[in-house]
Amino acid sequence: MRRTLISVSAAFVGTLILLPVIAVFTEAFRKGIGLYLASITDPLALAALRLTLLTAAVTLAFNLVFGLAASWLIAKFSFPGRNLLLSLIDLPFAVSPVISGLVFVLLFGAQGWFGNRGVQIVFATPGVILATIFVTFPFIARELIPLMQEQGTEEEEAAVLLGANGWQIFRRVTLPNIRWALLYGVVLANARAMGEFGAVSVVSGHIRGRTNTLPLHVEILYNEYNFAAAFAVASLLALLAVVTLIAKAIIERKIVKHGD
Amino acid sequence: MAIDVRHITKSFANYTALKDVSLRVDDGELVALLGPSGSGKTTLLRIIAGLEAHDPNEQSSVHVDGSGPRVGFVFQHYALFRHMTVFENVAFGLRVRPRSLRPSDKEIRRRVDELLDLIQLSRWAGRYPSQLSGGQRQRVALARALAIEPSVLLLDEPFGALDARVRQELRRWLRTLQERIKVTTVLVTHDQEEALEVADRVVIMNEGRIEQAGTPDEVFHNPASEFVVTFLGNVNLFHGRVESVDAKQARVFVRPHELDIERQQLNEFYIPAKITRIQSAGPVVRVDLVDEQNQEIAVDLTHDRHRYLALKPRETVFVKVREARVFVPNYEI
Repeated sequence: MRRTLISVSAAFVGTLILLPVIAVFTEAFRKGIGLYLASITDPLALAALRLTLLTAAVTLAFNLVFGLAASWLIAKFSFPGRNLLLSLIDLPFAVSPVISGLVFVLLFGAQGWFGNRGVQIVFATPGVILATIFVTFPFIARELIPLMQEQGTEEEEAAVLLGANGWQIFRRVTLPNIRWALLYGVVLANARAMGEFGAVSVVSGHIRGRTNTLPLHVEILYNEYNFAAAFAVASLLALLAVVTLIAKAIIERKIVKHGD
Repeated sequence: MAIDVRHITKSFANYTALKDVSLRVDDGELVALLGPSGSGKTTLLRIIAGLEAHDPNEQSSVHVDGSGPRVGFVFQHYALFRHMTVFENVAFGLRVRPRSLRPSDKEIRRRVDELLDLIQLSRWAGRYPSQLSGGQRQRVALARALAIEPSVLLLDEPFGALDARVRQELRRWLRTLQERIKVTTVLVTHDQEEALEVADRVVIMNEGRIEQAGTPDEVFHNPASEFVVTFLGNVNLFHGRVESVDAKQARVFVRPHELDIERQQLNEFYIPAKITRIQSAGPVVRVDLVDEQNQEIAVDLTHDRHRYLALKPRETVFVKVREARVFVPNYEI
């Protein structure tokens, strides 16, 4: 029984995950290392990499603040509208990313509700960032809320009675108790932010060198039958994913060890 | 007066936890709030601590001696900071003080070491809460509360989650400690034995009201209500009529140790009953019987008396009432 289960999962992981990863790297190097390096140092590829990293950084900064605030609020307080907020946080998971991209075009596009206000949002960097924030914002909150609910509010109450102020309670009691779960949420959100395609594709407009993220750049290269370059750039994304996975594994081990 | 609570009412969304409760605690006194779960005792404690607000009302007031955060609180489940060592847990209250009031690192170390010595956990200073037993955690929680030199110490079911032996040990330890440092203490418990053993004064609560407050002796021997009698230990209930009081229905309460067993029926008040079970492992011998109306009766005998009577299960004997308390609805004798 155990052997069957192991071979079934090995087969699945092999065909669905390992094989494609190997394929990406083989295809990337098929035309030699020279072309590989040329593809990933191409100014357009570098611009896409820069935009991807910028988007991920801003998204994480925003989600860190929002995720923490929302989880704190939902887990430690009860107030009218709490359940509504909880469902709203889950909304991005339920809605197709393409639809969320379209909603942003509707809101901020030239003919949109808030269009033509002087700042270009859609088909520019702010749109890309907004769409990415939207699709990634459940990750951190979803990771923290169950943990914070389970931990309850007694430690915070104890801290209050020992004379700690709000900031001290957050810094010395709440944050250390959730640090690994928070980091785990950040890693997951980061993976999604760097790899997001659907929503970003709709709002970006595919302006090469300006609004193309790495996944979009790969698609363009692929559609131009420039397979070697497409796979070379894709291998960059795969590398980022591997780094993320390693970080996740390390954090998971810490979580098991610290029980939080 | 260390604590003075006046006319406090506390309502939650769908029930009232406290109904016009007043309580005063003298300096250095150890008071136990005793009651079943849902009687409002923990709510009252949390209001004294300032963790909960009472319903706004003109006559209501809560006064606790001391300035600033001078309430030491020990939670039922300890609420130790799980990511801090024992030492850091105890030091927390000193470390979070504003810079001008904060003792030096050396002074903090000295005071924490002193407290760890007091709770006999100096060797465990570097451990985390998860590495300690329940009794040790409870002592750390107590040391942490004492570190801020509180003017009052509030304990919420402090021994509730511990096993019986550790509980007894800690109870005695707390009593000695309290006598030594003379800090005004309020302890919440649902265990009557604990309350009677530890406290200077016992406050018995039921359904958001204080039923009776007095020394352990007073509440045990002069219970003010039926609830107090039944709550403070085992009791036998007999229905009867009180001749002098307009022949009203009366309820008679007799504790098991206030009953005796005889082999002969010397007068009409002896109750014939059949022995169902004899339990002689303990300080007294508990004899369970049923009378002719199939009502259960529990009797506590001394071992000497039990040996003399040589009782056997399923025997029919006579139960004699030595002392009793009578409660007539709306009338007390």
